[in-house]
Formats: sequence, structure tokens, C-alpha cells
Amino acid sequence: MISTSMKNVSKAFGKNQVLRDVTFETQAGEIFGMLGPSGAGKTTIINILTKQTSEDSGTVRVDATSQEIGLMLEDDGMFPTLSALDNLIVYEDIYGIPRKRTKEVMEQVGLWEARKTTSESLSKGMRQRLVLARALLHKPKIMFLDEPTSALDPVTARGIHQLIRDLRAGGSTIFLTTHNMEEATNLCDRVVLLHQGKIIEQGNPKEICRRHNSVKTVDDLESVFVKLTGGGLT
Amino acid sequence: MRNVKAIFKKQFKGTIQNPETMIQFAIFPALAWLMGFLVVTDFYGIPYDIAAMMAANMPNMVTMQATIFAGMALIPVVTSVIAGDVERKSIRFLTMAGVSPMSYLIGVGGVILLAGFASSVAFSFIGGFEGRDFWIFTAAMMSGVAASTVLGAIFGVMTSNQQSASALSMPAAIVLGFGPMMAQMNENIARYLHPIYTQQLNVVAEYLERGYSGTPLWQAFAIMWANVAVICLLFALVYHKKGLTG
Repeated sequence: MISTSMKNVSKAFGKNQVLRDVTFETQAGEIFGMLGPSGAGKTTIINILTKQTSEDSGTVRVDATSQEIGLMLEDDGMFPTLSALDNLIVYEDIYGIPRKRTKEVMEQVGLWEARKTTSESLSKGMRQRLVLARALLHKPKIMFLDEPTSALDPVTARGIHQLIRDLRAGGSTIFLTTHNMEEATNLCDRVVLLHQGKIIEQGNPKEICRRHNSVKTVDDLESVFVKLTGGGLT
Repeated sequence: MRNVKAIFKKQFKGTIQNPETMIQFAIFPALAWLMGFLVVTDFYGIPYDIAAMMAANMPNMVTMQATIFAGMALIPVVTSVIAGDVERKSIRFLTMAGVSPMSYLIGVGGVILLAGFASSVAFSFIGGFEGRDFWIFTAAMMSGVAASTVLGAIFGVMTSNQQSASALSMPAAIVLGFGPMMAQMNENIARYLHPIYTQQLNVVAEYLERGYSGTPLWQAFAIMWANVAVICLLFALVYHKKGLTG
């Protein structure tokens, strides 16, 4: 069952063409990765799918209402002077969720002990986990995670990977963007490689690696990307 | 209603944890009391009865401070709160969760109105209004507080960060806050400012002080609530234009 789809979508900001004829679809219950370097257009795709910006042309479909979506963006949107728990209570009240669920989610992300700490006093990793907790509080149908592990230490990143897998096991569709090829290889069921606003390859990460003869001791999606794009700075 | 309650709770916790905001609601009534006290008692070397007569011919200190509070103090407070939510993209997340502009405004504004109500009661008390007059002046103050709250919200939503928000809101706050003070000294200014809600606070105070004569109360309140309606409409337009309606 299709969860989200884009067909021939293009988007420009002024003279800057950010997306060119982008076409893909995600299936319900999969971890779908959108890969590419900074400025490739990954965040714009999330913004279009979550109706924060509109496409110039093409068709977009998302099989969920805005309340059925969980969001983790670069800007965390937390209320800095409120405690970690109070930040989640805002959304608990909005969604009408029992406190038990909030506690369960905070324990799941390992923040229950730090529940009284204001969000501005949390470390970067803890804040990322709090943002993830907010995104999954209402058991969303689709989760959009924009660079969920950027600037995190490997241990915290692994913890978040496990949470993402647990969410998939619970039936959610995960749509994540990353420029970390290794993360995508290990985590995603399917990926799209995006370069200068254009899709240059898509499929199962391990199959893509095999297709491009890039299987070393581990599947090496990064060298596929470098090979496909020429590897220079753009 | 659930969304309004959620935003109100969030704002209430945020406001009471922020002494810089809380002090705005106390400092203006305190200043009004102090100025009123000094005007009557501290004309150095002048006999008390003459000083009282002079004070009676001076602008009303309580009304002056009340209009400055309703216009000048509240607008930057609300602007700063909302611009902070815009800057951190908190509004974006709230909108995605289904919070409408009106729910957000009522939730945030409700806390400001509550604190503004406490200040308004203090102004009515300090102004020496009694019985029915006490509640008429408090109601007039609350109308001004409501208008300034929504106006502050417009500036907050219009800008992308707190710094530019205060740059935008301060000129309007100064005109709305100090304009009625100048109107107490100059009839032309009073005429030009007549359609503005803060000037109507002067009008209401004058009506009460003159023993129910002058511009009728209904007219003053009608002007103030027409201001509130127009400002609410502008808020909805700006919120929509900024693409925050989901």
C-alpha cells in the first residue's frame, strides 16, 4: 500500500531550481531513506510532503492527515523554558493522550530521569531524543525524520536507529533524510539518491550497491553515490 | 477547546517562569500609584490645598499610566512571546498537530488577558474608582488589553525572529502608549487619536470623572471593540499569509 508519493514534482525558489521532476513512492510500514548531500533538496521534499511548502508542478500524495504525521525537523520547535516533560504535555493535551503514554515514550527514549530539566538545558543528543519522543507520542501513521542522527555520538545514534526500527515494527512508515550513507545502508528498506534536485538512483540499498559493483566487505552506498555524481564539490 | 487549554497551560507555565514578563504587569500600576502620590503630596513649599488644585488641573496620572500600560507595555510582551514561538518553529509543530490560529491566539492571549486583568483591577483601585465606576474602568482597560494583545500577536507572527519583532512593535507601542498622554494636553491630538482604543481609555476616565457627562460610554466601548475586531481580522490574515494555517 502506497504511503506517500511524488510524481514529476519540480520546485524552484526564485532562480534556484531545487527539485527537478522528482518521482518516487513509499510503501506503508517501510523505512524509506532520502539520501544526498546538503542542498540536494531533501528537506524541500519533506516540506512539500508535510504541506509546509507547495510544489510548482507535479502531484503529491500523502496517505495521512497532518495529525497522523510525526515530525522531526532541524528546528526542534521546543519551548526552551519548559521542562522536557512539560514540552510533551503540551502535545499530550492537544492529542488527548493519557499521561501513561507520555511516560512510556519518555522511558523509551531514555529521558524519564531528565523529565524535569528544561529543554534548553538538555544536551544536543538528549534534545534530539526529546524531539523524537514528541514525534512518536501520538503513534503517527507516517514519521518524517530530517537528519535524525546528525551531530550525534555513535551510541546515541544507534539508540535512535533502534527506536526507528521499533517504530517500523509497530506499523509506522518512516521517511528519513540523511547524508550518512552507512546509516541508510543499515537502516533503510529502500532509498532514493538525490543529487542537485534530481533522483539519480533508487531501490534497496544493498541491491543498489550490487548493481554498481560496490560491495566491499560491507555494502558501500557512498562509493556508488560518488561514482554516480562524479564526486566533486558542487 | 482542548487545543486552547493546551496552549493556555503552556503559556501560563512559560509566563510564571519568566520574571521579566511578570514585572511588566506590576511595574505600571506601581508607577501610577507613586506618581499620583507624588503629585498631590510633593509640591515643595506649596500649601496642600493649592497643590491639590494644581494636581487637579494636571493630566490624570493613573489614566496616563493605564494607557501607557495598555498600549506600550503589553504589545512588546505579546510580540516577544509569539515571535519566539515563530523563530523556534514551535508554531509550525502546533499547526501540524491541529492547533488553529484562533486556538493559539486565545491560548496565549488568555494568559496575557488574565495578567492584564490583575493590572487593570490595580489601576481602577489606584485611580480611586468605586462601585459601578470601578468595573466600568476595569472593563475599558480590559478592552484595551485585548486590542494590544492581538496587535502584539500580529507583530509576533509577521516577523521571523524576536529581534526584528521588537524593532517592529516598539514604534506602534510608543504611539499607542504615549499618544493619549499627549492628547490630555492637546485637543487636536485628542481629535486625531479619537478612533484609537488607547485614547478611548482617556475618554472613559474623563466621563467617569465628570460624573457621567461627555462622550457616551457606549460610543467609547464601541470604538474600542471595533478596534479589537479589525485587529483580530488582521491577525487571521497575517497568520494565513505567513502559511501557518497548515
